[in-house]
Amino acid sequence: MADTRSSKSEPNGRALFKGLAFASPFIIGFLVLYAWPILASGYYSLTDFSLFKAPRWVGLANYERMIADAKFWKSLYNTLFFTFVGVPVDIAISIFGAHVLNQKLRGQPLWRALVYLPSIVPAVAAGFLWRWLLNAQYGFVNEILRWFHLPQPNWLLDASWGGISVIVLMLWTVGGTMLIYLAALKNVPQELYEAAELDGAGPLRRFWHITWPMISPVTLFQVIVLLIAFLQVFTQPFVLSKDPGLGTQTATGPGDSMLSYSIYLFQNGFTFLKMGYASAMAWVLLFVTLGITLLILWSAKKWVFYDNR
Amino acid sequence: MERKAQGRAARAAMATAFGVVMTFGGALAAQAQDKAEITFSYLWGGAEGAALEQIIADFNASQDKIVVKGVSSPDMTKQLASMSSAKGAFDVSDNFASNIASWSNQGILLPLDEFGIDTSDFPESIMKQLIVDGTLYSVPIATHNFQLVYNKKLLDEAGVTPPTSMAELADAIKKLTKVDAEGNVTQLGLGLTDISAGLKTLGYAFGGDWNRDGKPTPTDPNFVKGVQFYYDNVVAPVTPAAYNKFVAGFGPYMSDQDSFKQGKIAMVFEGEWRAKFNTEAGMDWGVVPVPGETPELNGSTWADVSTIFIPTNTQNKEAAAEFVKYLISPSAMEKFSHVLANLPGRLSLVDSATYDDIPNFKVWLDALKNPNTHGLPPALYMAEYNADLASAFDSVLQGSATPEAALQAVADRTGSYQQ
Repeated sequence: MADTRSSKSEPNGRALFKGLAFASPFIIGFLVLYAWPILASGYYSLTDFSLFKAPRWVGLANYERMIADAKFWKSLYNTLFFTFVGVPVDIAISIFGAHVLNQKLRGQPLWRALVYLPSIVPAVAAGFLWRWLLNAQYGFVNEILRWFHLPQPNWLLDASWGGISVIVLMLWTVGGTMLIYLAALKNVPQELYEAAELDGAGPLRRFWHITWPMISPVTLFQVIVLLIAFLQVFTQPFVLSKDPGLGTQTATGPGDSMLSYSIYLFQNGFTFLKMGYASAMAWVLLFVTLGITLLILWSAKKWVFYDNR
Repeated sequence: MERKAQGRAARAAMATAFGVVMTFGGALAAQAQDKAEITFSYLWGGAEGAALEQIIADFNASQDKIVVKGVSSPDMTKQLASMSSAKGAFDVSDNFASNIASWSNQGILLPLDEFGIDTSDFPESIMKQLIVDGTLYSVPIATHNFQLVYNKKLLDEAGVTPPTSMAELADAIKKLTKVDAEGNVTQLGLGLTDISAGLKTLGYAFGGDWNRDGKPTPTDPNFVKGVQFYYDNVVAPVTPAAYNKFVAGFGPYMSDQDSFKQGKIAMVFEGEWRAKFNTEAGMDWGVVPVPGETPELNGSTWADVSTIFIPTNTQNKEAAAEFVKYLISPSAMEKFSHVLANLPGRLSLVDSATYDDIPNFKVWLDALKNPNTHGLPPALYMAEYNADLASAFDSVLQGSATPEAALQAVADRTGSYQQ
């Protein structure tokens, strides 16, 4: 009580100063490590800059160049393909898996730990592992497909399968999303299911009219988080496409099918030394991400159900 | 009592040892303080790195003014980032000739002319890659070129003699390519362990050039012919799908699963470093100069260079230059290139008996004096151009574009290159 009284009696200016002093590690960190680089990249995007020489003002030339840059469009197309295929599939597998994990299974904690395990494997190590799993000649994936007499694609060296290989590798860490959905399922009131069952609702109806609306806020959060992860994908395609044994040193995969936006941005910045162009690409990615996110948030009014409304 | 005496003796021994270590360490530190210390950051690792460390040790032993610290750092992005600060992490480093023009243009390479380095012993095809606008920015520590390496056992089994003309090469590919009853390739007559290097070599063998007079020339008709030759004779007969399925099974380069070592490919355009690997792998192998489309074009190839440079942000350029001179001295270069089975950068070393113990090495050595060995003029756009060429070659091997169309797509992009 004494402390409360003393803080109440403290002059406003002094309290503000103290507050800022306590928050200063974050404020300084944010300004130096985030705000300044973001603003600097905005300036560099309007210049011809290589890291080593002083930037030369070129106005919107870097943005204009993108329009005629076929590789820019290819990388954007690939990334949107990864995103618009990968995110829905990730969500679908996660919801299905969460339902399975929510059953009263023997050794349930072990199963939950196992599905999360891939999420703690470093992405580079996972990439090298999957390069062997997806190997068209010796890989386990094609071996399993062979058992079922299914076609065995040349995952890593066929342009039409390169992008799908990247999505498969991204989906390997689906366990993290699955566990968040599992927690969401636990929060759905059981009495709703019991009431629906009494009314004769089957499993699909119960899912569609109870589970889906009740977990929709989590779905909105997951969609946005996954969207950002897929739009920035770098390590997975970079590792999958880089195999010295095949002589492919481009990090772009067959027919440039693994050329993600971030890889092309990295190439421009650090291989071709076009840091100005790379900065412009970063800003375009920011606006693409922002645009899609706003669209999802706008659409959320129609499909996300908040219990407190 | 006995225990106490033991304790005293142990404490005395520890104190003595500590004193000796401190005295010796202090003496060493004092000695090191008298010397200028520079850092040599090199991209090599493993056996190559060990060979370099030996050369560094030799240099340090010969010096009372400079001490060199060697650091193996194979990350080129890190190397580049280090050169962007006012004070770099190293004073001497290595890279490839293709980056020299771009890096010198960025002002991150120290001009070497003022240090009086004698370049008269270096081949012209090499030096034209290292001098930018009349200024020397880098010097060769080793050079490389590509010749036609073949698996003797596989050629003998097929009754094929090593090809000496393009017609013989086409015929050998046909005889050495095997496909099973299900259409799966089981052996390729001519493979590519480095797609870009192999197809560029073929371009030269047809009299083409992908970078003529310092300009990108991806649609040079003879260069296109070289790429077309590979597609027509290797890829098309087995179909692109079967070709790529077979290639997918290639193991890591120069490992136990290496495609050439495994006998999956019978012939390949390879650099001189292969000589050591093939021999140590116990292979029965041979090498011939690259066959040309015409007799005049026989032995056509191109030279790449492992170069040594000093970054502009070095804190001790005199000491760095002294060490660079030592690295490229005949004895150090000979020792280094011999251990790695790389070609020396000096013409005076081409006939050295030191290399006699490396089987078949002479074919690559002789190419250093061959006028058909091309050097790449320095160009600012090389990194971007190489990436675009790699994409074009890939689309040809995928069968999704003809060589002409794929290379035209590259030509369409060259307008945005930095010239």
